[in-house]
Amino acid sequence: MFKKILVANDGSEHARKALVKGVELASCFGAELHMICVEEHLPHYAATIGEVLEEKEEEDSYFGQIVKEATELAQAHGVSLHSLVTPGHEVETTIRYAEQEGVDLLVIGFMGHSRVLGRIMGGSAANLTRLAPCSVLVVK
Amino acid sequence: MSETYVPFVLAVLVLVASLISLRLALSVAIVEIALGVLAGNVFHIESTAWIDFLAGFGGVLLTFLAGVEVEPRLLRAKLKESLLIGGFSFLVPFAAALLYCYFVAGWDLKAAEIAGAALSTTSLAVVYAVLVETGLTETETGKLIMAACFVTDLGTVVALSVMFAKVNWWTLVFYAVSVVVIVSGPRVFRWFAARYGGRVIEPDIKLVFATLFGFMLLGNLGNSHAVLPVFVLGAVLARSFASHRDLQRKLRVIAFGTVTPFFFLKGGMNVSVAALVSSLGLVGVLFVVKVGAKMIGVYPWARRYLRGRATYTTLLMSTGLTFGTISALYGLQAGYVDKTQFTVLVTVVIATAVIPTIIAQRFFQPPLPGPAAKPTESSSQAPSGSVESEE
Repeated sequence: MFKKILVANDGSEHARKALVKGVELASCFGAELHMICVEEHLPHYAATIGEVLEEKEEEDSYFGQIVKEATELAQAHGVSLHSLVTPGHEVETTIRYAEQEGVDLLVIGFMGHSRVLGRIMGGSAANLTRLAPCSVLVVK
Repeated sequence: MSETYVPFVLAVLVLVASLISLRLALSVAIVEIALGVLAGNVFHIESTAWIDFLAGFGGVLLTFLAGVEVEPRLLRAKLKESLLIGGFSFLVPFAAALLYCYFVAGWDLKAAEIAGAALSTTSLAVVYAVLVETGLTETETGKLIMAACFVTDLGTVVALSVMFAKVNWWTLVFYAVSVVVIVSGPRVFRWFAARYGGRVIEPDIKLVFATLFGFMLLGNLGNSHAVLPVFVLGAVLARSFASHRDLQRKLRVIAFGTVTPFFFLKGGMNVSVAALVSSLGLVGVLFVVKVGAKMIGVYPWARRYLRGRATYTTLLMSTGLTFGTISALYGLQAGYVDKTQFTVLVTVVIATAVIPTIIAQRFFQPPLPGPAAKPTESSSQAPSGSVESEE
């Protein structure tokens, strides 16, 4: 049914639930499993390069751990995981990746890290659901 | 009013600025300037001697850090192209802003020169952040843009240095000592770091601070400014700092944690909201002058050397922030610009940090190389590779 599944993972609790569901679905359908982690906290309009570098290193370290855990989870279910950590805007980058890779199911958590802003502005989950070029599974 | 009121309010603002910066993924510098505007216009906090001192040192420290971020290897690899793009990126906006402020806006020559310096800048850090986001840092395009930024920065610090110079015998001593320190700096620093570095009392950071204060002292005695030797010293120490990552990080922590917030807060405190409202037209015109001059100066060379990325490059080279603010604040401290002129310049500088970046990313952003590449199995991948597309 699904041949290529993409999980968007920002390291939040809901994203972890989405990853678990994505792994289960990939295992069930024998689908290719992808995971994208978008580093979206790099400072815009920085005063020095150091400000960007420091944040980048922290995000790399943070998402490195998430990729490691996700890989172990996928392997435990007999699924190989294709993961990508990249800077950018969470929604825009995820959608672009889904389009470029021809993903047919996007699995996302209901709520990421940006709870307050999300409630006011619609949130990443709502925007991803609206803009995704494929079916979307929102995991609660 | 209690003498502890001002430090308390500023400490809270510095804390709040860092939280807002993290929450909104916005440069702490811009937030600190914004909260400085609040401190000056709402809390009516005026600068004191200790704020002036910390802000002055903050400017010097930022200049040094900007120098440390120079990659001489990049410059050497792209010397001709970066000299042309970066050189004209400085010269044309400098001349355009100077001439407009002097002949049309009616500013005096010194104020117009400060306007030229403040609006000639390109923010290497703003550019770098955009290049990281678009995965272009390791591409030929990214390297050339960064090398050109270094050249523009150098043009600005040379201009500032010339502007502030009133030559006397101490000036000669200042420059003679500067040359000796810059030439011997890398060797002395390597020896000192190997002999005394890595200790909790940080003698190597104290050496850097003592050197910077020495430059400030001699600059004062020589009726000049420490900005040029400090920037060049940072550049010649860049390789040494790159091999002492821990030291570089500690220096950034000290700078951003304790010193530079006062530089940006002071910048904001000197912005007058009333003056801004009455000068909005001039702000708009100077913004157009800067971006238009960058178009004239950068676009033709970018078209020749960065085919397909000319508009994108020109917009990135139009950004400004740190050196623009430094130039304006130096001008204010020296009495070359008044508060209204300072307000206009800082507002234009911040506008150029934001607006060209948004336009470049929204309308001229090259395809993302990262997601286009096939990810390797079970591995984290940073975007890399260049996709040279036509606009």
